[in-house]
Amino acid sequence: MSRQMIISVMSQDRTGIVADITGAIYELGGDLADLNQSTLCGYLTMILFATFDDHVTPDMLIARVARIDSPTRLDIVAREVFGPPTATSDKLPKRTYIMTAQGVNRKGIVYGISSFCFEHDINIMDLATTTSKNTYTMVLQLDLTAVPSITEVRRKLLKYAEEHHLQVVLQHHDLFKVTNEIPF
Amino acid sequence: MLRSDQILATVEMIQKENLDVRTVTMGINLLDCRSPSVNKTCTNIKARIADKAGRFVETCNLVSRTLGIPVVNKRISITPISFVGAGFDRDGFIELAASLDMAADSVGVDILGGFSAQVEKGMTRTDREYIHSLPEALSVSDKVCASINIGSSQKGINMDALAMLGDTIKDIADKTRDQGGFGAAKFVVFCNQPGDNPFMAGAIHGLEEADTVLNVGVSGPGVIARALERLISSRSKLRLDDIAEEIKQTTFRVTRCGELVGRQVSNILGVSFGVVDLSLAPTPTVGDSVGEILHILGVDAIGAPGSTAIVAMLNDAVKKGGIFASKTVGGLSGAFIPVMEDAVLAAAVGNGDLCLEKLEAMTCVCSVGIDMVAIPGSVDGDTIAAIIADEMAVGMINNKTTAVRIIPVPGKEVGDSVSFGGLFGSSPIMPVRNVGKSSRFIRWGGRMPAPVHSFKN
Repeated sequence: MSRQMIISVMSQDRTGIVADITGAIYELGGDLADLNQSTLCGYLTMILFATFDDHVTPDMLIARVARIDSPTRLDIVAREVFGPPTATSDKLPKRTYIMTAQGVNRKGIVYGISSFCFEHDINIMDLATTTSKNTYTMVLQLDLTAVPSITEVRRKLLKYAEEHHLQVVLQHHDLFKVTNEIPF
Repeated sequence: MLRSDQILATVEMIQKENLDVRTVTMGINLLDCRSPSVNKTCTNIKARIADKAGRFVETCNLVSRTLGIPVVNKRISITPISFVGAGFDRDGFIELAASLDMAADSVGVDILGGFSAQVEKGMTRTDREYIHSLPEALSVSDKVCASINIGSSQKGINMDALAMLGDTIKDIADKTRDQGGFGAAKFVVFCNQPGDNPFMAGAIHGLEEADTVLNVGVSGPGVIARALERLISSRSKLRLDDIAEEIKQTTFRVTRCGELVGRQVSNILGVSFGVVDLSLAPTPTVGDSVGEILHILGVDAIGAPGSTAIVAMLNDAVKKGGIFASKTVGGLSGAFIPVMEDAVLAAAVGNGDLCLEKLEAMTCVCSVGIDMVAIPGSVDGDTIAAIIADEMAVGMINNKTTAVRIIPVPGKEVGDSVSFGGLFGSSPIMPVRNVGKSSRFIRWGGRMPAPVHSFKN
């Protein structure tokens, strides 16, 4: 029998965090299936999926990470998951769109746009934001599979943008792919 | 996901820099529409166009909406009409033009090209009837564009056809006198005319093509201009090869957008995809000008020494970027310098910076020729024919496409202006020097022999 765990780690960024965490998993006999990490404002967060022998529990892993002699604080959450893991597909849905929203930096921009997406059955697959010279920019990768009419949602989006003083553009992902990637 | 800066660069290109797909052009074979009577042939043509292009415009609009990129023009090109109407007389060709106009209207396309003939080696009786029909045919139709190929690097130049065309162009302009001679803006004379060019007025569906083909014309001088401005302001010690590289890379992105749109439209319609024509085609819109690129690259007046060299580099860089971007490239592919359609070029005519002779020099290295040039209505037909002869010789000797689309504006002289509106633009009248001094040359007729294809120095 084996036990599957999803593990999340957050720390101030430094060299060696990935080695520390994967070392702890290795010592407990874990088999690392997938890992994804990202950094923001000097902090690193990563999410891992690993399989252990049945006797290894999430608490044992957390205790093992706590014993790491780390110069930064390592916040860890580990949870057992059941059933086969959902495969992460490299293939994007056919109706993958990119939305860019730009406006003067103020509170609630992300909340507003994400609420709009939620209200219109739009799934946010990826999101990145930047601020430059007081202009706040959001770039969202969206799945519009459940949206009945792109034209209609674009019309509503433009209305929303006008009301909230944002410049919003919604275009198909393919357009960005062809202009920035060389096919193999 | 793609990087945010890549995404924002693409958004800038489309939203702020006038990137669009200038035209999706459906080429339709009409050869088998020929019937013993003109009337039945017209009926067959209308049925064929309705059948092939009935859903064409709505499909282009659908793809445009889905992707979020404008497709400005939806056009049709047809088999050169002189082949379809073989044996018909002048009146028959005028009827064909009227029917083509109706057919274009009924499927909602902007323009239909291919009211054309290919006479680079000799003219049949039909070809002569076709040429005689042109003034009337272009005045009874709104959307029909005409072109004629009178020369090629393999066959030489048909000087008999050329001699007819100077006066024909004057007659075309005169028939549309109330529109400033607009008819002549719908007629182009070619050397080495390509059979897959999607741009007007010279689009045809060549005899070498399949039944139905979709060709795409991408544009984007505005995108190139803005990219160059950004590059120049962000870097010091910039050299010309850096600039050529930037043009190449920007053209790559522009072309890929066109290819994406074209292939999606052709998939939906079940029509085979032909080529992407990666041309820098300006529009009269401010900021969408090839002339502006010349300014940015360092000449303070369009037509100043250096202008030809810049056009040469621009034309080459556009080809290099586009060829890598597209699976199949064709048509004209390069930089256009149509004077009336480019606000900066037109202004250069007005202030005396750009003369016909310098424009001709620039056409030696651009992708088309003397295009959309308004000249005084008083210039005689032989002088116009001789201007065409010079341009045809440039194309013939250099193994490239050249064309002349010149408008002798009735009743207008140097100092006046003419405006056709929309994409056709406006311009002051360009002076023509040495008028009336080429008639003896034009009257020889016959053929200018094809050049030697070796000993290239």
